[in-house]
Amino acid sequence: MKLRLQITKESGIRFISHLEYLKTLEKAIRRARIPVAYSQGFNPHMKFSLASALSVGVTSRCEFLEIYLREKRPLAGLVEDLRHNLPMGIHIIRADLADDKAPKLMAAAAGASYHVIIPCGADPASAIAAYEAAESAPYTKHHGKAKGKEKNKVIDAKAYIPAVSYTWNGETLELDFDIRITPTGSMKASEFLELLSGSFGLPLALTRADIARTDLYGEDANGHKRPLISEEEAIKD
Amino acid sequence: MHKDLPIDILSAVEKPARYTGMEFGSIVKPEEETDVSFCLAFPDTYEIGMSYLGFKILYAALNGVRGVQAERVFAPWVDMESQMRERGIPLSSLETSRVLGDFDLIGFTLLYEMSYSNILNMLDMGKVPLWARDRQIDDAFVCAGGPCVFNSEPLADFLDFCMLGDGEHIILEVTEAYRAWKKEGKPGGREEFLHRIARIQGVYVPSFYMVRYHENGTVAEVRPRYEEVPPVVYKRVEKDINDLDYPTHPIVPYGDTVHDRIMLELFRGCSRGCRFCNAGMIYRPVRERRPEVAMQLARELVPATGYNEISMFSLSTADYSCLEPLVRDLLQEFREDKVSVSLPSLRIDSFSVKLAQEVQAVRKSGLTFAPEAGSQRMRDVINKGVTEQNLLDAVSAAFESGWSQVKLYFMIGLPTETDEDVLAIAHLAQAVQWQYKKITGHYGARVTVSVSNFVPKPYTPFQWVGQNTKEEFDRKHMLLKNAFASMKNIHFQYHDSRTSLMEGVLARGDRRLSKAIYRAWEKGARFDGWTEYFSFDTWKEAIQEAGLTMDFYNSRARDENERFPWEHTSCGVSRAFLYREYEKAREAILTHDCRRSTCTGCGVCQKLGVRIIDWKGKEK
Ligand code: SF4
Repeated sequence: MKLRLQITKESGIRFISHLEYLKTLEKAIRRARIPVAYSQGFNPHMKFSLASALSVGVTSRCEFLEIYLREKRPLAGLVEDLRHNLPMGIHIIRADLADDKAPKLMAAAAGASYHVIIPCGADPASAIAAYEAAESAPYTKHHGKAKGKEKNKVIDAKAYIPAVSYTWNGETLELDFDIRITPTGSMKASEFLELLSGSFGLPLALTRADIARTDLYGEDANGHKRPLISEEEAIKD
Repeated sequence: MHKDLPIDILSAVEKPARYTGMEFGSIVKPEEETDVSFCLAFPDTYEIGMSYLGFKILYAALNGVRGVQAERVFAPWVDMESQMRERGIPLSSLETSRVLGDFDLIGFTLLYEMSYSNILNMLDMGKVPLWARDRQIDDAFVCAGGPCVFNSEPLADFLDFCMLGDGEHIILEVTEAYRAWKKEGKPGGREEFLHRIARIQGVYVPSFYMVRYHENGTVAEVRPRYEEVPPVVYKRVEKDINDLDYPTHPIVPYGDTVHDRIMLELFRGCSRGCRFCNAGMIYRPVRERRPEVAMQLARELVPATGYNEISMFSLSTADYSCLEPLVRDLLQEFREDKVSVSLPSLRIDSFSVKLAQEVQAVRKSGLTFAPEAGSQRMRDVINKGVTEQNLLDAVSAAFESGWSQVKLYFMIGLPTETDEDVLAIAHLAQAVQWQYKKITGHYGARVTVSVSNFVPKPYTPFQWVGQNTKEEFDRKHMLLKNAFASMKNIHFQYHDSRTSLMEGVLARGDRRLSKAIYRAWEKGARFDGWTEYFSFDTWKEAIQEAGLTMDFYNSRARDENERFPWEHTSCGVSRAFLYREYEKAREAILTHDCRRSTCTGCGVCQKLGVRIIDWKGKEK
């Protein structure tokens, strides 16, 4: 059995790193005395995983945690025990139990939704229209250096983010968009903002971007969004 | 302090999670239920402060009292400081973003001298007047505790009061006294409150004492200004630590701290009597926790924290009377939970190595030993009581059990040291390396030699000695560098002499140094314990501008009868004992450990009405 949870990373703790978030969950699982399975071997480690790493500074309502159990327990009790042992800033939104063999949630993730609040000094209408109308929007991903050479990769943002909706009140811009997750990669919300600012002339205060991941979803056969943890059997907060 | 810190600042600084709090176990009480707010301030980074047991103990003790809210603040790293100053954001607590200056009490941990400039900086950033005499009735009281509090004189002008010794009760008594004084409408001004707490054993109010100096700069007299103020303040000492509350539900930080694990304190004090060691004097006598109490604490700590490692914590853990059975019981008890046990320091014997082997299933890292000095004579001078054979036996045991990396700690600049003694460090390291060959049949042991510079500390038998000068330290470093240059696989590291010399000034300083610390801070001194930020020139200038010289404090040898600036704040160890030890040192005569033998006459037990608590042979 595995316990699958949709949890949050809220504003107050948005700056803890992915690794710190993982370690925090590991300790919470131990405090909650969840009957978690361990790997075999000399240095056994707890069997759990988190779908799709979140950038530092981004809040989320859709972190997906999968914990492999060594024994069966009722869902309600597990959720209750874990709930009491999470620090401020992490809450459980939805949970279910699945078979060990069920595919990893990460593998099922087809896209993520973002909501961004960012100061913007000019009417964004034309810039965003230009992005949407563009056939392609090349963006250079910086992968740092490898063997002394810059290891960059040019991607087409439109392949990941076809559409954007927005509101603007004269000072602050609010953006909503979905980013596709493909087997060969994805794009970060912050990279998209950089592109809008750099290539489409949108005067964004990039360092002050308040980025929230609002959803991480799968896709059904028709290409429609499907929740990673289905609502029917789940316990909801 | 996250409430005031915008996204762009937090994303621009290193390790932003240092500043955002909200950890599991942190405590926030409603404002309307808070009578007294106490800010526990640590004058270094979050990662270091959160690893300090005393800090956890006080946080739990204070927050355990209804109406008292204890919060935390750490020194913001330089990148954060510049961001905050640029935007006029004051330093505030992690729990409720309360600005430092709005607290009732602020208590600094004095863990090492090189953090003093950070204290001033934190007060300044927190809108607290720096000089105690400038604080008004509604300003916070600034106090201090921790190991360096036995000579707090260099900070005397900045501190309203100090708390000496074990903290768990004294801090509550002070806090209650504050609550009463506040409720009464703060009668008699700040002075009145200080008078009230000066009656509590262990509380020292620097401004209640006047210091007179001889023409040559040494102290002539330290006299209380008021009759009811004691001429000597003795530390507070808890008779039996089994009766004390332990922080069984400590804060669990998100990120990595220096000790990101359970800290299980086994005993306080150490009476091995190493003559350079300040901790070995100020925490006397040895008081052990009963093994069943330690076990019970572990049973509470594991589920309360979620850590999977328990570190057995004490000044010299291997001396704990019931270490072996306790380690075994712990491993047994938590087998299911995959909790491991670790020993922070190893004694130089094969017993320690065997135990380390037992607890460390995987050879993660090398083993560390501290012979402290290279030659036998030198080790006898410092009363280390370890022979070359002891060390070789210990490393043999380590090599036999599969370790191939050993780290050895030494000091240079010890009293009576000759070049021969210094070079003996290299010979000893080589002997350790050769031992590996003898045991395993091949070369390739990795030996790291780490050499620090001796700093004479108050309340040690070496409080009379002159520290080596910069030239002497640097020459000795060169001697060793040359010696190690021809040795393969020995990695030699040493500390910068300038930091040690400045530490030497502050450690045995008097209250005239307050001015120098202030000047150094004004000139930008911060994080002096971090080599990349320490500026010797800044301090040199500051000391000069205060009309003082470094040599007077660090390299000057003291007369037998010189009165020290710190003697009115006492840990209970008698001056006569310390001087006797100094004389024995010069003759290289050893003094035994009183822990399981006869009293050697340091005077603590008689003076403070306490005794050694040790469970050797008295188990259960
Ligand atoms: S007074 Fe005697 S027994 Fe007590 S700590 Fe000192 S030397 Fe040991």
